[in-house]
Parts: sequence; structure tokens; C-alpha cells
Amino acid sequence: MALSATASTGSSGTKDSGFGYLVPALLLVAIFFILPVLMLLLRSVLEPEPGLQNYATLLGSTTYLKVFLNTFIVAGVVTVISIVVGYPVAWLLAIMPERWSRLVLAIIILSMWTNLLARTYAWMVLLQRTGLINKTLMGLGLIDAPLPLVNNLVGVTIGMTYIMLPFVILPLMGVIRSIDPAILRAAALCGATRLQCFLRVLLPLSLPGIASGALMVFVMSLGYFVTPALLGGTSNMMLAELVAQFVQSLVNWGMGGAAALVLLVVTLALYAVQLKYFNPNRAR
Amino acid sequence: MLLDFEKLGGLRAFLIGLTVLVCLFLVLPIIFIAALSFGSSQWLIFPPPSWTFKWYQELFADPRWLYSALTSLKIAAIVTVLSVVIGFLAALGLNRGTFVGREALRALFLTPMILPVVVLAVALYALFLKLGLAGTTLGFIIAHLLIALPFSIISIGNALEGFDKSVEDAAVLCGASPWEARVRVTVPAVSHGIFAAAVFSFLASWDEVVLAIFMASPTLQTLPVKIWATLRQDLTPVIAAASTLLIAFTIVLMVLASLLRKGQKS
Amino acid sequence: MTEPFLSIRGIRKEFGSFTAVKDVTMNVAKGEFMTFLGPSGSGKSTTLYILAGFQDPTDGDILVNGKSLLSTPSHQRNIGMVFQRYTLFPHLSVGENVAFPLRIRRRPQAEIAERVKAALKLVRLDGFEDRKPALMSGGQQQRVALARALVYNPPVLLMDEPLSALDKKLREEIQFEIRRIHQETGVTILYVTHDQEEALRLSDRIAVFSQGEIDQIGTGQELYANPATHFVAGFIGDSNFIETEILSSEGGEARLALPGGTVVDGVPMHGGKPAGKKASLLLRPERLSLSQVPVDKGLSVTINDITFLGNNIEVATQTNSGDCLSVRLPFGHQAISQLTRGDRAWLSFDTRSTHAFA
Repeated sequence: MALSATASTGSSGTKDSGFGYLVPALLLVAIFFILPVLMLLLRSVLEPEPGLQNYATLLGSTTYLKVFLNTFIVAGVVTVISIVVGYPVAWLLAIMPERWSRLVLAIIILSMWTNLLARTYAWMVLLQRTGLINKTLMGLGLIDAPLPLVNNLVGVTIGMTYIMLPFVILPLMGVIRSIDPAILRAAALCGATRLQCFLRVLLPLSLPGIASGALMVFVMSLGYFVTPALLGGTSNMMLAELVAQFVQSLVNWGMGGAAALVLLVVTLALYAVQLKYFNPNRAR
Repeated sequence: MLLDFEKLGGLRAFLIGLTVLVCLFLVLPIIFIAALSFGSSQWLIFPPPSWTFKWYQELFADPRWLYSALTSLKIAAIVTVLSVVIGFLAALGLNRGTFVGREALRALFLTPMILPVVVLAVALYALFLKLGLAGTTLGFIIAHLLIALPFSIISIGNALEGFDKSVEDAAVLCGASPWEARVRVTVPAVSHGIFAAAVFSFLASWDEVVLAIFMASPTLQTLPVKIWATLRQDLTPVIAAASTLLIAFTIVLMVLASLLRKGQKS
Repeated sequence: MTEPFLSIRGIRKEFGSFTAVKDVTMNVAKGEFMTFLGPSGSGKSTTLYILAGFQDPTDGDILVNGKSLLSTPSHQRNIGMVFQRYTLFPHLSVGENVAFPLRIRRRPQAEIAERVKAALKLVRLDGFEDRKPALMSGGQQQRVALARALVYNPPVLLMDEPLSALDKKLREEIQFEIRRIHQETGVTILYVTHDQEEALRLSDRIAVFSQGEIDQIGTGQELYANPATHFVAGFIGDSNFIETEILSSEGGEARLALPGGTVVDGVPMHGGKPAGKKASLLLRPERLSLSQVPVDKGLSVTINDITFLGNNIEVATQTNSGDCLSVRLPFGHQAISQLTRGDRAWLSFDTRSTHAFA
């Protein structure tokens, strides 16, 4: 590949391949992204001794496997709830009159932009034993003793769903909006009841949006650090916190690197799946 | 008829009800925090026995909070400028370049945004320990720049797609040098993209938690790090006060951004 | 007196303060091809949508075989419809698209396969079962839509400007197909279009819509020869209009004073206005004669332009009072060989072929 690396200031710009403009960004990404990650990979197979022991420990020990399990289960549950709750909202948003949809969208976007720590803190307080949720439930007579809603995976699931819902609703709304309403009318005239129209036409047509939204939320949930660390307990850690613990508390770079790499590989694999099966640019 | 709002029948009530519940779900915690910050109970009892400003007073009286806020501001400002400049150049190169592998490079630049931040945080921490950059402002800036840059490239890239290069070429024909043409013609034309890049880069840095935790030191903390550290110890309402201020800041920014966008359209 | 097959009675549709359909009443016979013709916004599509059940009328009723249709929801009306934008199901193959209504009706698989094959044969798309709609041309997609609408043998087929997205040649091809399918199946068709030529080609009868109301219903010939309103006269066929003064009117015929003074009798009159008022006189270009010599009860005109249009000649003329009238003469008309631009000539017409509107 012939690179014309001259940055351009004096040249006419027409022969210049334009590569020069990318040099600052490329340097940044190469030195401070690709290099450190590769170094981490190296450390995971070199410390404390060369070999794959770190990975063996990680994937062999029940404690660590439990962490993987927790992470995948929570990510899965969060994804399912987000899709099930988010789809009807996205559906309504796609068809409701504009002045109302603008209000709902403003609420969703405000929620997305609000500081993550502030939002997680809100749930830490709400889900306490003496928190508002427990108090309301007891006040309504639905439970006798406060439920343990925080410092466990339940709290993490609630908190993460809170964060992830907007990430499902917004793209899904776009997908549903792109479906021609006349298709649904044609289906009705063909004799389909509302349920049949939904199952046979609307759902299949919105499936690409559901799939890509679900994948995005699942991948994000897998790697999330802040919310699980704050709302979860020490006995049911998730993967991101495990990585942090190895590095910060235990200063075990070998294991930390290995855990980070596992997370990275799983993420990349899922993205590859999405690109292969759900790439909208692919001709069908 | 499922996509005709007026023709949904009973289904409409269900969809509206669920949407209202979801909106309440999304909004109530935020309002709750704001209310808590004015409540007098130290144990965050709600409804509070009385209302007070003392948590805000405590917040402003503690120099460490103020210092961490200023640190956040400083780092975010520097990151914004760097991100916009480097992002502008990169977007230009991606938009107009004729070299092979543009799509791959574009994907590469966007990767820090989509990969789990903790992996990047740990990797950078290791590197910075070796380079002596751990716990330094420079290290902080580099780390935040990595995740702000994708926003910049996307925003400016989108704006450049909508910009016809012939206008810039016309300026060159009129006698301007290529860079002069860019500054005088292209930059104003994609100013909305640059503005969006600046806002997103600023917020990306301002709100960033995970990288900050690893880049911080006892003497160098951004606001999110301070909140995180305090949260690990106890749930004092001072955090509610800090959170409320952050929420207010976000709302102001959103309103400003939408007003500016409306102003630009007319 | 037997009940008409399809009876539309007093249909009215208001959208807030805007009335899209004011009062539509008509009867359609079984197997008839009825076209709703009119400009956009005239209420024709809205009326069709009310028939389909996508809109509820503010007032009025629709009866099929004496039974009201309005209380039935869309999916039970057993009506077929073809839309402007094809609206095939993109995630299903052609065969599955056409099979869709039959699957909903839970027909056995063997029957479905057979009926789909027959429907595709009807629209001349044999063997296309496995194709995906996205890979087909507009004309082909519209034919699949037609097959899907007819596969369950609905008594009524609605068509909402189905050909406006296609180019002219394709449009004519499919118009021919639609006519053939109508004759083969005998289904009652209600067709919406703004193209008068299309309406004339396809329909048994045409209902001309204007501003939410029907101005006139009739065969193409009736509408052309005896337009009931100024709007119908201008919409069907070509037209010239000149302002005249009513001298007297009696028994459906009027005596008019043309600009310039000429008086004509026996003009069929629509709309009763007293003497002294103005009336618009319709003069069809192809019913006007030109001659070099003065003609009794004619108009004096100047020739502005002569255009050769292949099978006929168009002459642009102007009266002394400034009205521009277009005359169409068959190729080879003797007057033309002697006339050129700028010449004076005399325009004449048979008053029985004109109409006045007041």
C-alpha cells in the first residue's frame, strides 16, 4: 500500500491520499490503545510464569466460574426485560402524535444523559432495607419484612435495566418507524386479526431491530463496572469488578490480564456475530 | 392497522399505560435524588422530617469537592479541545482519503467506544505505571481522549458527509490556500458537527467513571472519582446534593443544546 | 326492485374542522368497474379507505347485499385491496405473500398451493413463488399485490391509485392486465385515480369527485358528451371556456351572447341563473371548425400558432376580446393549407355540442 504521508499543508490536496490527516489519531490509538492491550495479553501469559496457567485457573476454578455465570445471567436477564418492556414503548413512540412523543423522548434522553453515578446512587438509596421501595411495599401490606433488594444480583439487575432501557427503546423506535403502516393495513384486509398481524408481520419485520438492540445491551451489560460494583455485594461479583479487583487490590496482573482478555474476546466475538448476521449493509 | 395510532383499540390503552409506567420509572429516581438532597435526614429517610440546605453547604464547604469539580472541568476542557482538533483531522482523512482500508481504520477508531471500558482502564493503568504517567493529569487526559475521540469522529464525519467538497474547491479556485479554504469555508459549514463533537467529548470526559478510577491518585481526583470513593464508604446525603447539581448541569446543557440547534435551523 | 349490490349512502368524513368527504351517495352493480376520479384532496381516497375500514365515517352507511359493512372490523370485511405503494410483506416470498390470506383462513396446505398457483397464473407471474419481492420490478410487485388481493375471491376489490408509481408504458401494460382480469373474474372493482385517461380506459362508470362531493356519475361517454358541472367539463376531455352573458334561458336551453356580440341559441344549460348573469360556455377543441370565410353565428379570431401533432393539428387562436381558444383539426384538413400565423379566420360550432355552466 503506497502511503503518501505528507500531511498536506502546502500541497494541492488532489494527489494527496489524505492519510496524513489520520496520523495524530492513529498514533494515539496505536500507542495508547492497541499497545497496552497487547501488553496486557502478554502479561496474562507471562506472569507469574510463562504459560496459560492464569487462564486455566480462571476457567477451572468454581469461584471464578461463578463470576462468569453471574455476569452472563445478569446480562441475559437485563437484556430480556429491557426488550420485553422496551418494545411496547418503542412501538407507541413510533406511532403516537408528535407532541406527546417529544415529551416521552425528552424523558428518555434526559435519563440517558444524567450522570451514571447519580442514577446508580438513587437506586442504592431506594433499594435499601429502610428505603422507599421496601417501605411502600410494607405499607401496602404486600410483605411483612423488608426484602433484600440491594447488595445482591437483584439490585444489580434492577439498576442495569434502568440504565439499558433507553438503549433498547431508541433504536427499536427507529426500526418500527421505518415499517410502512400500509403493510399492516394490507395484512388486516387479508383477514389477519390484531394478534396475527403482530405475530406474522410486525414482529418478523422488527426482528432485526430487536436482535441488534438485544446484542448491544447484552454486550454492554457484560462489561459494565460501576452499577454492578455499587449495587452488587462482594460475594456475587461480576466480571468487570473481578478484573479491577485483581489489578487494584490483589496486584495480580497475570490473572487481571487474563480476565480482561476473556471479557474482550467474548465482546469481540459477539460483535462479529452481529456483523455477520445482522449487518444492515448486507444485501439480503 | 397496528401502526395506526387511532386504530389500535384496546391495545392502545395497554401501550399508553406501560409507557407512562416506564416514563415514571425513568424519571422518579432522578426527582427522588433531588428531593433527598434537601431532606434533613442523614439516613436518607423519605419523606424527610424536614427540609434543609445543609448538605449543599457541606458540599461547598469541603474544599476537596470543589477541587475535584475543578479538576473534572480542567481535564474535560482540555480533552474537548484535543478531541475536536484530532477528530476533525481524522474525520477529514476518513471522509476524503483515497487510501485502502478506510473502513477498517474507521472501525478501529470507534473501538474504544464499544469495548468494555474496564479492559482499556486496566491496560492503560499498566502502561502508565511503566511510563510513570499513572496518577498524572497527562495520563488522565490521554485516557479520556481515547473515549471522547470516537464521538468527535462520528459527529464531524456525519457533518462532512452532508457537505459538498466542491464549495471548498471553489474557495481554492478563488485564491485561498487549501487550509485557508478549510478554515474559512468547511469549518463554518460543519460547525454543527463540531459543536456536537465538543459537547459529546466534554460530557464523555466529565461523566467518565471507570477510567478515572484507575487514572486517579489520592491527590488527583475528578468529581466522579470523589463520588465513587465517598459511595464506597457510606451513603451520605452530600452525595445527593452533588448528584442533584450534576443532574441540573445536564438539564441546562440539554436545554442549551436544543435551543442552539433550533437557533441554527432558523 | 332488487337491492343494489353495493350501496354507499350519505358518507361524510370530518377531520376536526376539515371536511374531507361531504356527502357521497352511489350504487354499484355487481361486477361493475367503478372509478373514483378527481384531483388530490377531493375525497376519493378517503371514501375508499372508509370502505376498507381504515377510517370510520362521521356519518352515513355502506351496504353490501343489503347488510351494513360499518359494524364489521377491517379483517372481517373480506374485501381485497391494492395500494399505491405495493405493500407486499418484505420478509415473505412471493408465494408466501399470496398465500398469506389463505393461511389466515386456515385452508389446508394442498388447497393453498393450488390457489396460489392459480392466482399467480391470473396475473401472468407463473413460477414466481420463490422470488423475494425486493428483487422484483414495480410492475411485477403490483401484480403480486393483485394476486394476493384476489386469491381469496373477495366480492369487492379496492384499488387506490395502483399505477401512479409506474412509468407510462408499464402503466398501459398493467391497465390492460387489470381490464383482462376484471373480465375473467367478474369481481366488482372500485378504482381511485386522478388520471382521466386511465379512468376512461378502464371503467364501466366514473364518479367524478370534487372537494368531497360527487359532481357526476356516468359512463365516460356520458361525462364527455353531457358534463353536469363546469368541473366535470374541464376534467374530462379537453376544453375551452369563454364567458358569455345569458340573454334568456328556458327548458334547459339558453340563448347566450358571446363576447363580440354574436348570439347563439339552443345551448344546453346547467345551473339555473336568470337573464343578465354570466355563464361559462364549454367549447371542445375537436368540435370547433375553422374557415377563412365569415360564418353566420361564428367568432372572429386571429391565428396565433399552428402546431403539427402527428395525427392532428392544434391551432391556437385568439378572439377580438382576448379569449384564447384552442382548435383541434384532423391531419389534412383543408383550411390549414391556406392559413398561416397572423391570419384572420372564423370559428364556428354546433350549439348542440356545447354546454353552458352558470
